[in-house]
Amino acid sequence: MSGQLSARPVPMAASSRWSLLVARLDRSAGAVFILPAVLVILIFSIFPLVASLYVSLTRLSFSEGGIHLTFVGLGNYAKLVVGIDRTHFIGVTVPLTPLTAAVLFVVYGGFAFLLVRYLRGPGRTVLGFVGRLVTAVIGGALVWLVVDTVMTSGRPGTLVVTLIYVGVDVSVQYLLALGLALLVVQRLPGRRFFRVVFLLPMMITPVGVAYLFRMLTDTSKGPFYPLWAHFGLTDVSWVTNPWGARLAVMIGDVWQWTPFIFIVLLASIESLPVELNEAAVVDGANRWQMFWAITFPQILPATSTVVLIRLIEAFKIVDLPNVLTNGGPGTATESLTLHAYTIWRALDIGGSAAVAYMLLIVVTFVGISYVNLFRRRVTAMA
Amino acid sequence: MSRYLARALVLMVGLLVACNSSTPTSNAQFSGTTIRVVTFTGPQIAEPLQRRAPDFEKATGAKVEIITVPFSDLYQKLLTDFATKTNSYDATVFDPQWMGDYVPAGYLEDLTDRVKNDSALQWNDIAPFFRDFSATFKGKVYTVPLDGDFQMVYYRTDLLQKDGLQPPATWDDYISIAKHFQGKDLNGDGKADYGSCLAMKRSAQSYWMYFSIAAALLQSQGTKQGSFFSTDNMQPLTNNAGAAAALDVYKQLSKLGPPDQLNNDVGDSRGLFVTGRCALSLDWGDIGPLAVDPTQSKVQDKVGAVILPGSKRVLDRTTGQLVDCNATICPYATNGVNHSPFAAFGGWSGAINKAAPSKVKDAAFAFLSYMSQPAQSSVDVTIGKTGFNPYRTSHFTNLGPWLSSGMSETAAKNYLGAIQASLQSPNMVLDLRIPQTAFYQQTALDTALAQFLAGELSASQTMTQITNQWNSKTDEIGRSSQLDAYRSSLSVTR
Amino acid sequence: MAATRARRHRSYAINRPSPAVTIVSYALLVAWAVVVLFPLYWLAVTSLKTPLDVNGGPFYFPFRDFKPTLESWRYIFVDLGEDTFRPYLNTVVVGLTSTTITLLLGSMAAYGLVRMHYRVRFAAIASFVAGLVAAVAVIAAGGPWQLALLGGFALFLLLLQTVARRFKRALGNDDIAFWMISQRMLPPVAVVIPIYIFFQQLSLLDTWAALIISYVAAHLPIVVWLMRDYFQSVPLELEESAAIDGASRYRIFRSIVLPLAVPGLVATFLFVLVFAWNEYLIALFLTSANAQTLPLTVAAQNATRGPQWWYMSVLIMIMITPVIAMAIALERFIARGLLVGAVKG
Repeated sequence: MSGQLSARPVPMAASSRWSLLVARLDRSAGAVFILPAVLVILIFSIFPLVASLYVSLTRLSFSEGGIHLTFVGLGNYAKLVVGIDRTHFIGVTVPLTPLTAAVLFVVYGGFAFLLVRYLRGPGRTVLGFVGRLVTAVIGGALVWLVVDTVMTSGRPGTLVVTLIYVGVDVSVQYLLALGLALLVVQRLPGRRFFRVVFLLPMMITPVGVAYLFRMLTDTSKGPFYPLWAHFGLTDVSWVTNPWGARLAVMIGDVWQWTPFIFIVLLASIESLPVELNEAAVVDGANRWQMFWAITFPQILPATSTVVLIRLIEAFKIVDLPNVLTNGGPGTATESLTLHAYTIWRALDIGGSAAVAYMLLIVVTFVGISYVNLFRRRVTAMA
Repeated sequence: MSRYLARALVLMVGLLVACNSSTPTSNAQFSGTTIRVVTFTGPQIAEPLQRRAPDFEKATGAKVEIITVPFSDLYQKLLTDFATKTNSYDATVFDPQWMGDYVPAGYLEDLTDRVKNDSALQWNDIAPFFRDFSATFKGKVYTVPLDGDFQMVYYRTDLLQKDGLQPPATWDDYISIAKHFQGKDLNGDGKADYGSCLAMKRSAQSYWMYFSIAAALLQSQGTKQGSFFSTDNMQPLTNNAGAAAALDVYKQLSKLGPPDQLNNDVGDSRGLFVTGRCALSLDWGDIGPLAVDPTQSKVQDKVGAVILPGSKRVLDRTTGQLVDCNATICPYATNGVNHSPFAAFGGWSGAINKAAPSKVKDAAFAFLSYMSQPAQSSVDVTIGKTGFNPYRTSHFTNLGPWLSSGMSETAAKNYLGAIQASLQSPNMVLDLRIPQTAFYQQTALDTALAQFLAGELSASQTMTQITNQWNSKTDEIGRSSQLDAYRSSLSVTR
Repeated sequence: MAATRARRHRSYAINRPSPAVTIVSYALLVAWAVVVLFPLYWLAVTSLKTPLDVNGGPFYFPFRDFKPTLESWRYIFVDLGEDTFRPYLNTVVVGLTSTTITLLLGSMAAYGLVRMHYRVRFAAIASFVAGLVAAVAVIAAGGPWQLALLGGFALFLLLLQTVARRFKRALGNDDIAFWMISQRMLPPVAVVIPIYIFFQQLSLLDTWAALIISYVAAHLPIVVWLMRDYFQSVPLELEESAAIDGASRYRIFRSIVLPLAVPGLVATFLFVLVFAWNEYLIALFLTSANAQTLPLTVAAQNATRGPQWWYMSVLIMIMITPVIAMAIALERFIARGLLVGAVKG
């Protein structure tokens, strides 16, 4: 894990005030290094957090002399989970069908297996078990929600759509970025060109990327018109079909953010010591084995960081669905942040804050689970 | 001798200078004042303001600073600025629907007296609808109209003439014309084109398009009858036979256009129409000047406009059913058809921040008045890029600027005739402007419409959902205060 | 092992790949390059079209399919002139300044989290929350916020020195890091109005300072997390031997650790620059006439007439040019590997 410098601070050679000062500074180096960042984040985040939390418990109205915030307790949250906005947020759920029951059986079985394995293994603790149990329960509920609204005649709400976006986007981005990094790292002439080119999509402002993709997906004036015409698909509009529109959003997101993971993985692979690889070659290993046994374990720490960052950012996806389809057709592509943004524009800032906090709860759950179950283990191995 | 000559010369120069200022204010009346006007990024609306600001400054000494923000966030920026008392803006050119939120909260300056005392503004030249309804709230004037917004149907004169069809008078006519042309090649490029192009995209203009259809079925007794709620008890008019018939028409039209129609906003539908790919479209006044612009249009001189199609059957509010039109039920019908021209959006208007310093307010009013005066506005409404559409009687009576903008005489007469017919109708429909209009229209109505078009909801589910959400919001704010606000917006007195 | 030390810039692959692998690799690389470049080509081409050409259907090649025109470019640079130049300047200044500050503060914090041992006692956190609650209560009861903050802070200090001393359980480095990254979990739309009020009270609205401070606070967590990994891979022995030689922590950080982490620093710099350059919502609210940045101008091209693709394309292209130029210039630094051989011998 992280090492600490065992050397003591500099012994005082001379009794000049300068070296006294330096010694004092050195002793407090710990604080000096971290305090500026902590203070900036703390000062800047406290007020918005407290204020928006309070706002999520209120309702906005206009009255003589200005704005009025009326306290309504958990009213905004209730509206989302059980009230008038339920189908918008959670979706339309239906009773289990044989297919969904089978899928859930497999998934829950997997969870149970993992739990039992933890119980049987070394280093188990009560806290660890309880934590994993909670994760399994919440995770199970989310899986049920996704399966029940997507694989059936039910309709996914913004929560489920966001989960789908995150799951698919981050996985595809990671695999794609890993593949590209491995390709580019080889000693091929011209690889510098590819390295720069692959960075480009991330540089465009997200609103710009969204408009760009809107141009591209337009079947009447977009550049792919000859392609559609060739397949006789000119009368089909994929952005007016729920899954077509979601696919468009996901493709846009993958296109835009793959460079982010790509560049981190590239830097990480390139800074690996080559002695291990040399030894492996001498021992007769092929490229595939070298990758799995040597390279991949060593880039896991960098991987886990960038995947965590990407996960958190992916949950906040808003520009692509907003510009491409404004959340349509119907509510098919609407993500949680877009949901919050739409009702915020219509002045329901209490409701919008409530949606944002629901998103925060989900992301915190995913983040904590990810850090505890995956990242801790991965960085311990390094 | 020379001294008298010098004095006479100075006097003459002074007289000449005084006579040359075209505005009623004298030179340097407002020198040293800066007016900060906020609107959305142009060129529409912002461009004419920016273009005329230097002239205004030369005439009055007031400096005009035009600040632009992205259109979709103008409302929020204005509101946050007013509500937090930041007051970084002195005036704004905005959507008068927002008055429903801003006036009760006390953010806008009452302009009734200023308007009365400003003869150069020629207030009575402004069409009565915009004067008495659009610019007014609870009997007081709060805005200076700069633009006249209402919807009309546009059609391809060449195509309809060739096939011997008349411009649509009812929505059934519209549907049959659209069916007739759907799939044919309408602009000679070999690709199949479309019968009707509407802006059905979510969170764009869809709810106005729908209402242009629904209004004909819901309102027949004049503007004061209102078309969103009952003026007796604030019950939404969204769950009845009229609304159902309108939804049915809207659904049919969604299948008679481009495949992307559910994702087209007004920019797309206009673009399609002026490149010749649609036989019909529904839009504000912009298509008229746009159609004659050679950099944008392929259908110069092939475009006609007509008052919004109506209906031969309207809603009986007591029974909730549709009944046939007759002289009592539809007093303003033409040829048995009830037309309800919908003043969607209201028309961009200028308003003044009540918290601005009083000299700045005077200067701001002078600027807004200057922009609205016939001398300036009659030119601006003929230029498509300005985004200003006609709203004064003088805009129709003087064909000169229209002809010099490139319209042929027939096209100008046809376009202006349709506008006049709409403006002079006593049954014009006022857009909603009660507190939290944005929720009623953009959150509840628009989302439900999008879901309906996408097939997520059936027609009856859509109507129920809208009604429930509207009622729940009305109860949240207070039914009697909302009723009061609704009636005031229609200038209905108890 | 002179041979080892001589080969400083070796990359991961030791030999040239076989011909079959080369061809497949190139095919895949070119395929993705096309996927990346085609939309950008479309953007460039759209900026040369008239509205008629844009709406009329797909036209691919200038001069062959349509007549290119510089009208949109002229509009953006000449007609708008000042209105394009000012946001551009704002974006550059705010982007570069905030990124530099973020990188400085963030890498220091990251180094601290990797090499030093922090303990934040639960009791301290509880005292802090108590002080906060007190402050909120005072404000809710109608008192002035300055007084409330002072009172809350006093309460916090009081509790810290008395009650909190009794409890020892604490949070460590990883928890601090998680707290930092959790600040990024809430979508900006929820906090944008409070942030607006925050800066309004400080009279910093529509200034560079407001944007810079916001972006520094928002992007610090990313820098901390990314740099942690890079600092971790710097061998401890290097730092230890320097410490034995009498160097202070600051000297070690500045002279040994930072130079070795340059690839990470450069990559992180590019990320944070991109984030700050392209940010929309906070810039929308915190700016007005003076400090508007380019993303606002891009988004504003979608007005009542629908998106004006031709102007938007021009704006996007001028927006990404400096960032691409910087990426090209800095890319060589990312490629350098660590000097592993320096420790031995």
